[in-house]
Amino acid sequence: MPRPEQRYITFSIDGREVSAPEGIMLVDGAKYGDVEIPVFCYEPKLGAPVGACRMCLVEIEGIPKLQTACSTPVKDGMVVHTQTERVRGAQQGIVEFLLVNHPLDCPVCDKGGECPLQDITFGWGAGKSRFIEPKRHFKKPLELSPLIAIDRERCIVCYRCVRFSQEVSEDYQLVLLERGAHTYVGTFDGHPYVAPFSGNIIGLCPVGALTSTPYRFRARPWDVEEAGTVCTLCPAQCNITFTVRDDRVLRVGARDNDQVDDGWLCDKGRFGYQHVHADERILEPLVRDGDELRPVSWERALDAAAALGKHKGRVGAVVGGQATNEEGFLLQRLLREGLSSEHIDCRAGGPPVPVGLARALADPALAATVPDLEYAHTVLVLDTELVDDAPILDLRVRKGVRRRGVRLITATSRPSSLDPNAQVALRFAPGGGGAFLQALDAALGGAGDPDELASAAGAAADDVRAAAELLRSVGEDVVIVWGERLARSGPDALRALLNVAGRLGLGGTAGAGLLEVPAGTNGRGLREAGCLPGVGPGYTHATMGLNTTGIARAAARGEQVTALYLLHTDPLRSSEHGAVWRAALGKAALVVAHASVLTEGIREYADVVFPAEAYAEKDGTLVHPDGRVQRVRQAIGRTGEVRAGWQVLADVARRVGLDLEVFTAPMATRQLFDAVPFYAGLTLDALAGHGVRWPESVAAAAFAPGEGGPFTLRTPAAAPSSNGALRLGRYRSIWAAPEVEVSPALKFLAARQVAEVSPADAERLGLGHGQRIRVGSNGSRIDAEVHIRGDAPPGTVFLQEGTAAGGANALDGPLVELEPR
Amino acid sequence: MNTLLFDNIDEPGLATLEVYARRGGYEALKEALKTTPEEVLSELNASNLRGRGGAGFQMGKKASFLPKGAMDKYLCANADESEPGTFKDRELMQKNPHGLVEGIVIGAYAAGANKAFIYIRGEYALPAQILEAAIAEAEAAGYLGERILGSDLSLSLVLHRGAGAYICGEETALLDSLEGKRGNPRLKPPFPAVQGLYQGPTLINNVETLMTVPHVMRLGGAEYAKIGTESSTGTKVVSVSGNVQRPGNYEIELGTPSREIIFDLAGGPPEGREVKFWFPGGSSAPVLLPEDLGLPYDFDSMAKAGSMLGSGAIIVVDDSHSVVEVALKTAKFYRHESCGKCTPCREGTNWTVKMLERIDNGEATPMDLDIMAGVQTNIIGNCLCVLGDAMAMPIGSMIEKFREEFEAHIERRRDERGQVPSDDVIAIGVADEQASPYPALALSY
Amino acid sequence: MSTTDSEHALSDRVTRYQHGSRVPGWDDAVDLDRDPATIPDLATTTVPERLRSNVEAAMAKYPDRRSAVIPALHAAQEEHGWCSPLALDQVAAVMKLTPGYLSAIATFYDMFSTVPVGRHTVFVCTNISCSLCGADELYAAMLEAAGDDADFNVRSFECLGACDIAPMASVNGDYVGPLTVDDTREIVAACREGREVLPAKSLRDRTSTDPNAAPKGHADTAGLQPEGDRPGPPAAIELTQDDESPS
Ligand SMILES: Cc1cc2nc3c(=O)[nH]c(=O)nc-3n(C[C@H](O)[C@H](O)[C@H](O)COP(=O)(O)O)c2cc1C
Ligand code: SF4
Ligand code: FES
Repeated sequence: MPRPEQRYITFSIDGREVSAPEGIMLVDGAKYGDVEIPVFCYEPKLGAPVGACRMCLVEIEGIPKLQTACSTPVKDGMVVHTQTERVRGAQQGIVEFLLVNHPLDCPVCDKGGECPLQDITFGWGAGKSRFIEPKRHFKKPLELSPLIAIDRERCIVCYRCVRFSQEVSEDYQLVLLERGAHTYVGTFDGHPYVAPFSGNIIGLCPVGALTSTPYRFRARPWDVEEAGTVCTLCPAQCNITFTVRDDRVLRVGARDNDQVDDGWLCDKGRFGYQHVHADERILEPLVRDGDELRPVSWERALDAAAALGKHKGRVGAVVGGQATNEEGFLLQRLLREGLSSEHIDCRAGGPPVPVGLARALADPALAATVPDLEYAHTVLVLDTELVDDAPILDLRVRKGVRRRGVRLITATSRPSSLDPNAQVALRFAPGGGGAFLQALDAALGGAGDPDELASAAGAAADDVRAAAELLRSVGEDVVIVWGERLARSGPDALRALLNVAGRLGLGGTAGAGLLEVPAGTNGRGLREAGCLPGVGPGYTHATMGLNTTGIARAAARGEQVTALYLLHTDPLRSSEHGAVWRAALGKAALVVAHASVLTEGIREYADVVFPAEAYAEKDGTLVHPDGRVQRVRQAIGRTGEVRAGWQVLADVARRVGLDLEVFTAPMATRQLFDAVPFYAGLTLDALAGHGVRWPESVAAAAFAPGEGGPFTLRTPAAAPSSNGALRLGRYRSIWAAPEVEVSPALKFLAARQVAEVSPADAERLGLGHGQRIRVGSNGSRIDAEVHIRGDAPPGTVFLQEGTAAGGANALDGPLVELEPR
Repeated sequence: MNTLLFDNIDEPGLATLEVYARRGGYEALKEALKTTPEEVLSELNASNLRGRGGAGFQMGKKASFLPKGAMDKYLCANADESEPGTFKDRELMQKNPHGLVEGIVIGAYAAGANKAFIYIRGEYALPAQILEAAIAEAEAAGYLGERILGSDLSLSLVLHRGAGAYICGEETALLDSLEGKRGNPRLKPPFPAVQGLYQGPTLINNVETLMTVPHVMRLGGAEYAKIGTESSTGTKVVSVSGNVQRPGNYEIELGTPSREIIFDLAGGPPEGREVKFWFPGGSSAPVLLPEDLGLPYDFDSMAKAGSMLGSGAIIVVDDSHSVVEVALKTAKFYRHESCGKCTPCREGTNWTVKMLERIDNGEATPMDLDIMAGVQTNIIGNCLCVLGDAMAMPIGSMIEKFREEFEAHIERRRDERGQVPSDDVIAIGVADEQASPYPALALSY
Repeated sequence: MSTTDSEHALSDRVTRYQHGSRVPGWDDAVDLDRDPATIPDLATTTVPERLRSNVEAAMAKYPDRRSAVIPALHAAQEEHGWCSPLALDQVAAVMKLTPGYLSAIATFYDMFSTVPVGRHTVFVCTNISCSLCGADELYAAMLEAAGDDADFNVRSFECLGACDIAPMASVNGDYVGPLTVDDTREIVAACREGREVLPAKSLRDRTSTDPNAAPKGHADTAGLQPEGDRPGPPAAIELTQDDESPS
């Protein structure tokens, strides 16, 4: 969809001629003339103005009544007054009304000092009140959720919080109850307001009615400093600020970047900061001594890791998604140059991706941006549950559909939470994403029989055709957001994706393209830094090595790989084939890990553990899924004995005879930028603030295109038929993360294993909702609780990966058996 | 006088299609469908028919604001009738449901609407039941549905029952309520004619307005305009209630002297009582005094007298009642019915009730009347919709016109409670504004 | 549910958390042990068949299913007697809305009750016109007549749109008036015994007070009931009016 063009108009405010973009609201237009109009309810991010608080009344010549500046667009020649007696009288009147029942308990209010109500009362109020009746008083504060406290006395009924719940996150849990002067903010029948984005209402509340339970009374605004950085807890990479007091992170806030996050945060990002100061954190180097990991000095730990040198050519490295570009880059140097080993991967699983294909997918011409999701004609959400995989993008898609009429198609195996917003909601069998794309391509006029291909995908042919029709007919700006999970079934799925992209002409269209949601935070950056088998920095050719699964199998056999290097990852939790990994870790002669908490794989199998920096302690860069290179900046000093990741890698390298030549964090960045051709010209200074999208940079011209399509593909194998057993579908919950488990405030949300089944399967197997069962395949078993889901496709059971224990990655599939316990 | 809306109103069986048709029902529709929508509009414009729901806006003009072109357009009949003192739509719908259906179909034809709703207040169970039956009859007879009477007009009509909220009579709150939301008014612009129900262009008219439409068609706009006064054409069903001997609905020609309505038709106050004051247009209208009884009952005369014709509901208060009692009732009604969305209405109605309660409890001083008047001023014109004004204006008018009675009431109640006369009270809360800017702060904030 | 009647008694018992306009709910925290109230899954929610089909029929009438919220809540209230959490949950499952959204609606409108109430609703109008005619005494008498019978839900109500029969009440949806204090006992008795309430004072068959609205005496409709096929008691008008309007 074409984005609105900006035309400037001239209007007069308080006697000054001001030029401002046409159509913006007077409140914003006034700022062009340095006039501030006070507002409470106005917040453009929440959608159309509601005009509820009436704080923004102004006089416009030619209109008899005062008008709300928050809802009146500026027009050419408009004459506005904000300083007349009439306007001031109205403003003072509104402040007086708002304070009628407000307790003015500012000295004991957490919002004090950063409270719009305080500021506006001071700036626009009369300084006195004629209200002498008793104010109403209520119990306070009350819990609204484990994370949020509510103080109803203070609420000014500005509608912001409930609009957020209903019009932004669309969870519809937080509502206004009763009416008139009785109106209050609440939930259904005493249920807590727990939803992935609930924390945003804290910052939205213009008074102290909604406060963060973890932050309450930790500091006053003048006690703290703010430090801007990027959240590394998921690929959405929201821009955040840490509120820091005495070298401790006390709070996370949004650092509004509409190119990335639109100013919202998910609750994992907002409250997960607590892991920085969690008791569980590893703060000193550990070395295995029999069954135990013992704290040792850095020298001893590094010496122990130096034994990697004895495994030259046989070291396998797995890189976790939270590693920075620099860490990934240095590790692949350590491995390839220092340890003569090519076995490095940053993916959770799936066959290796040929370098040409990796390149084709990263092609700047095909890259969609986050705002494209909002302005596209059609968005296809493919094999990803955004609210789990990159929560902020879920909000973007909702915004596009709600406010800009974007047509949405969801194509997933597990029912998507975006289905209700979609024109076409389509299911395929787990692992059937590639086959679905082939069917879609066929329905769009490509090779093959759409019906057969749809059936191989386990999808309804009519749905595929409906999706094709929508993609073709509405408009050329199509964005396909796809999950890394798609690649697990092999490169053909990716080629099928490129075929579809080619057929829809996404490459040549601005505002259209592909947007991958990688499994790890920095999935894209790590690939660009060279952490893939056979792919060097900048998608250059490298000698082929083993992929993650290959490393596991080789290590389990004790051939080809005899030592393991785990950078910010615990494969027992995050990688496919958990059982193989257990064997691999057990068999490996040496396991070196960088970790911040002792998850099972590290605790049981690591021989050397380097304490990892928390994100608030880190310097480096990340690459956002849309190619935006962003800067992570240190906000607090490193805790305990923790050392910088680049430094540890350089020290290990030195001990195996390689000088990485990095002595500061910026030197590591410099090396990376020099090594990756399309990063040429980037500097840390240029990244400051909002980052730089390299596909838009001059250096993008240096990008050499990858494999060209269209590809001729093998006919996909049919989805496994279930005959009694169920197909295994997997997903990863937003709450399946160690950061959630160790943050006191978030612990209660930590993901527990559930088995989602259709009502038909539940009935056939005699399972009841909430029943404890055991799910097994090929000898591995995990425990789960049955959740019957009306919209679950029959024949498949969905289980979570990445839970603290009993994650679905322990199961191999494709079929599993369910048995009652 | 010749009636229009009350023609045959007590005719047995009028609520059935059979009798309605026998009395000439749906003839106006048949004639209208032979002409173009533009011609219907121009008849409406010629009739100068003004809305009977409260605002008195010309119906033809409003209908012509709807954009042309093929899209879903809506018509909503406002049958929420919750303005205190108003009960005309109830009688009209209950006795002549087909009259409303016919008016809706013609109105929809003029406005180009293809989906119509009747938003009827939930308490009206009987009229709803009768309308439901009438709609079914009209559908079966082809007056509703696809290609009505062989014309190009297709129209569905759904009866929607509310659930008890005065604010849902406000046209945009009605739309929100009809969309399944809380009945909160919306910001205007955009006006419903441009962006209303389900974001589509929507014409909203009062039941009586729509029921007048067939008569306008039958008589012709110009002929209709001859009834009543120049700017208030036609007849109006007036609900007269309160302290009168024959409360009820009376169809009058606009411009009829108010005294005639209150005394000749409704019988005036009970024996031995005098009119003390009267609301000319529901409780939202500023009160008028006995000396205003000579005013012609029409839109302009009421406006000129500082009040309004509103929904055409006259409430008469006789001299046995105290103005404070009526003020408190009025304010409590608006506090109860305020939707709570905008600040001045939510807080202002609540505050006003508290002040009136203090006055009634003997805890006030005459200075509180100034504060109360000031609060009304801060409400008027500053709210999202006019519900706030609808309290502030009558309350303001009562304070202004009956200040002495208020003061006497205050003193009497103080006396009854054994409080010192208010002359001896130092009003800390409202100490001299000039003397110090913040005297009230410590006490009140 | 917003009530006016509860407000009268307030000034008497002003305790720490109870002055001003106290509203149920303001002092309530959530129960942290519960799950959040998301859209209930119809696969795991039992919904009475009649309620389900009523709600589905209502949804089918509108271009947007949300429009059916009020009809659906009316149906739920009919089924359960009040908009109980269980009732809201059931409607939410059928409508694919959150029960929270439904509570926002249920608490906004006066006719929905979110606390259990008696099955006989008696709404006594105490607005201006009725109170000028003695509605406040009527309401007090009505409360007394119903006593502590839990079957009765007696509430003072804002203008019910029937000031022509002031003072009046809506008894189980039927409008009756003008009422006297004595009538309140008959209302209670009739409800208990399942009789029609004060048929002679029902609004159903009342003729117009407007002298000009008299029927023209058409022969063809002489035998019909005022509302046609709706049989009702013959018009019995007994009002403070003289004979201008024939009954
Ligand atoms: C608080 C409030 C309540 C209203 N209640 C009603 C009502 O019950 N019935 C009605 O027809 N109009 C009511 N109105 C007026 C409507 O907003 C609207 O002007 C009217 O329905 C338009 O129809 P008309 O042009 O035919 O009068 C109300 C307005 C306000 C502000
Ligand atoms: S709780 Fe805060 S954000 Fe919500 S309505 Fe009240 S003042 Fe506004
Ligand atoms: S900011 Fe304009 S009404 Fe609230």
